[in-house]
Amino acid sequence: MVISASRSPRGSRPAIEGPGFLARADLQVLFDLLREDGRRLIGPTVSDGSIIYDDITSVDQLPRGWGDEQSPGRYRLRRRGDERLFGYVVGPTAWKKWTFPALIPLTRSTHDGHKVSFEPEQATAPKLAFLGARACELAALGVQDRVLIGTEFIDPDYMVRRANVFVVAVQCTTSASTCFCTSMGTGPEVTEGFDLSLTELDAGFLVDAGTPAGRAVLERLPLRAATAAEQYGVAATVAAVRARIGDPVPTDGLHDRLLAQLDHPRWAQVAERCITCGNCTLACPTCFCTTLTQTTDLSGETALASRSWDSCFSPGFAKVAGGSFRARPRDRYRQWLTHKFATWWDQFGTSGCVGCGRCITWCPVGIDVRDELNAIAPPVPLSPESRLVEPVAATPNEFVTARVVNTKAETADTTTLTLTGVDPAFSHGSTGQFAMVALPGFPPLPISISRFLTDGIELTIRGAGPATKAMCALQVGDQVGLRGPLGNNWPLDRAVGRDLVIVTGGIGLAPLRPVLHAIVADRRRFGDVKLFYGARTPADLIYRDELERWGKRDGIDVSLTVDRAGPDWSGRVGIVTHLFDQAVWDGSNMIAFVCGPERMMQAASTTLAGRGVSASRIHVTLERHMECGIGLCGHCQMGKYFVCRDGPVFSIAQLGDTFGREGI
Amino acid sequence: MQDQASLVAVLNSTWFASGLEPGIQTRLAEFSRTFTAEPGQELFREGDESKLFGVVIKGRVALRTHVPERGDFTILTVEPGDVYGWSALVPPYRATSTAVAIEAVEAITFEGPALRAALREDAALAQALYPRVLVAVARRLNATRVQLLDLFAAEQVRTW
Ligand SMILES: Cc1cc2nc3c(=O)[nH]c(=O)nc-3n(C[C@H](O)[C@H](O)[C@H](O)COP(=O)(O)OP(=O)(O)OC[C@H]3O[C@@H](n4cnc5c(N)ncnc54)[C@H](O)[C@@H]3O)c2cc1C
Ligand code: SF4
Ligand code: SF4
Ligand code: FES
Repeated sequence: MVISASRSPRGSRPAIEGPGFLARADLQVLFDLLREDGRRLIGPTVSDGSIIYDDITSVDQLPRGWGDEQSPGRYRLRRRGDERLFGYVVGPTAWKKWTFPALIPLTRSTHDGHKVSFEPEQATAPKLAFLGARACELAALGVQDRVLIGTEFIDPDYMVRRANVFVVAVQCTTSASTCFCTSMGTGPEVTEGFDLSLTELDAGFLVDAGTPAGRAVLERLPLRAATAAEQYGVAATVAAVRARIGDPVPTDGLHDRLLAQLDHPRWAQVAERCITCGNCTLACPTCFCTTLTQTTDLSGETALASRSWDSCFSPGFAKVAGGSFRARPRDRYRQWLTHKFATWWDQFGTSGCVGCGRCITWCPVGIDVRDELNAIAPPVPLSPESRLVEPVAATPNEFVTARVVNTKAETADTTTLTLTGVDPAFSHGSTGQFAMVALPGFPPLPISISRFLTDGIELTIRGAGPATKAMCALQVGDQVGLRGPLGNNWPLDRAVGRDLVIVTGGIGLAPLRPVLHAIVADRRRFGDVKLFYGARTPADLIYRDELERWGKRDGIDVSLTVDRAGPDWSGRVGIVTHLFDQAVWDGSNMIAFVCGPERMMQAASTTLAGRGVSASRIHVTLERHMECGIGLCGHCQMGKYFVCRDGPVFSIAQLGDTFGREGI
Repeated sequence: MQDQASLVAVLNSTWFASGLEPGIQTRLAEFSRTFTAEPGQELFREGDESKLFGVVIKGRVALRTHVPERGDFTILTVEPGDVYGWSALVPPYRATSTAVAIEAVEAITFEGPALRAALREDAALAQALYPRVLVAVARRLNATRVQLLDLFAAEQVRTW
């Protein structure tokens, strides 16, 4: 009955404000009301050593006093020693058994001489009530709604079945070791997607309605108003469940982290354990892949096409004439995990996993997705670089001011300004972000933040034209206007544990300087770090002292080159890509950050790709004309992106063939 | 870098000659010599007859060109693995720049006339070596073009 995820406005019930209390002895009244409404009741019951969902008619069939213990590959019932009816966690059955049955007839076809005809099966569905759907399960119904009826093409069978379901949710007051709804953002709190919700207390239930239909039922229940103590008790219990589960799979950036690991050795390792039984996909409440089978009568004249659940683990799933695209278990495991946790987002705007833990408990060999995710796409400790702060003076008409406290001539035309008195937002900015910098009478211009200090920032500016020349001429004590920090950041979190290659030229080192500072501050988190830096002449190299320190003291492999030099230069002369075009590397463990003139970035990307670094792991920062810096003025568009808002840092995979194309 | 076996091993360690068939590498080693230069030592001078074709093993060789009234410019450095003196293989066999060791250099060199004669006589050697020389020269030509674009210049040169 709840099809849209949004909660409908509440009806009025003058007698009881807020949730009501239903004594445990009165729960049968709810059963009877739903059955009077012509509904079959599906709810939890003990069968064959587990708590499954099945047809029930009486409260006596509920798993009174039963709890469960779950861990990877293991499920056991246990006595709780109390009278709770919902004191267990999710079992092997998922509600999709009724909304998306394992086998349905689809089309009848007949062959009559030369004529063929196809007759679709009419979708029919019994009126059902689901009793005891948990928060993760409500989310799973929402995910299947999105997949099966949330786009242009709808599944008629699901549509009918789903519309005929009344959902009674139960908020979790206990959890299993396999639960991770908290990480997936689906529970344990019941917040949406239900008609009625129950939360169990020692003597009964708090009852709340989520839809008008739910309210209509609620109003016929023998309720009294819940006391403040009861309400508080429920909130505290659910909060304790949340705390107990913790955050087993940090999902920040998981999509990108996972897709960046298509060649991780762990895929082969997990595949040595996985027996490709497909239990995980069958138990999963969101998996929706199906296959068609044809059954023909003896005469061969009529046939029935049926649809049944399939699994990306089944050997024939990706078969074409000549073989299978995912022949090896590791390919199938990777397909499953990357679909659930990454590409599902691209297809449906949601995660394919709700964190119910079924695939963990019911995997016969005890593979734990949480461990696999954390090993393959390790979470990064939350550090400033992976979170972006709210910019100050975000709109183009506002500015905050900052004062120049130091100026350093880097080269004949490039100056580094140290600014203090800046809004703290700037100090908390992230590597690769920029500020819109303004002087009265000049257009505000985008300038990368080249250093983050506790009480200020540095900007390194090349006097390319009037405005930047005026900035380079600023003296200690002068003020500038700032907006920011704006734009996205270098994905330093993705570089953790990898080898990092930085390729840059000219002033392009400025936006990468904070990356080097961050690496030096926490050197052990990164593998080999190589910096390839090219400049026009030796006199055009910026940050010379730092370059020397990074190389000599900080464990960074610094290689410099210039386009031309006088006889006193004993370093390299040549183009920056020649610093590594013949290198013998393992590019599969590398991530690359590239910044410089676009032509140079193209050459560097091509060369890196030739060294085995995949396009999704080569990142460049684009320069475009910018005025607003927040995606409003339209100046910085590049294909489908606003460089100011979606960039300036992009992976080559993101840019595709727009990168380097003329006139984009 | 004394005996032939070690010469072959050294040659094989450079990107220029790595992966050449063992027979070809041995043949090359037959008339190659090891060469060392002190920092500051001039290897050849622009316009002179180009006598040696070399592969740098260690150190750095600067290729310089002289611009009257502006002095010497380093236009390229030859790094380990790369070749110098390719003009010893191409008529008119004259050096196109001045080469100076700017660090202590170890190289493997080939006498121009001897190598040319061997290449004329030994088709297998020519077939193996010329593509490598072409790759090295093309790589350099490409780089020269990129340098010509002067990408890091403050003001982009516009010709339209
Ligand atoms: C994300 C980003 C980060 C940057 N970081 C740095 C940095 O750290 N250091 C640095 O020196 N330069 C940086 N730049 C480039 C810098 O913004 C331009 O060099 C500068 O805008 C040139 O302005 P100008 O008036 O001095 O020069 P001119 O080249 O004479 O420009 C003339 C006019 O063109 C317009 N214009 C030119 N480029 C831009 C632009 N990118 N955005 C808006 N208007 C422009 C302005 O109206 C400007 O007044 C960055 C650019 C971007 C997009
Ligand atoms: S992937 Fe596993 S934990 Fe996630 S929803 Fe499916 S069965 Fe539950
Ligand atoms: S992960 Fe476990 S449940 Fe899934 S296919 Fe492999 S062995 Fe079966
Ligand atoms: S600068 Fe205005 S849209 Fe990007």
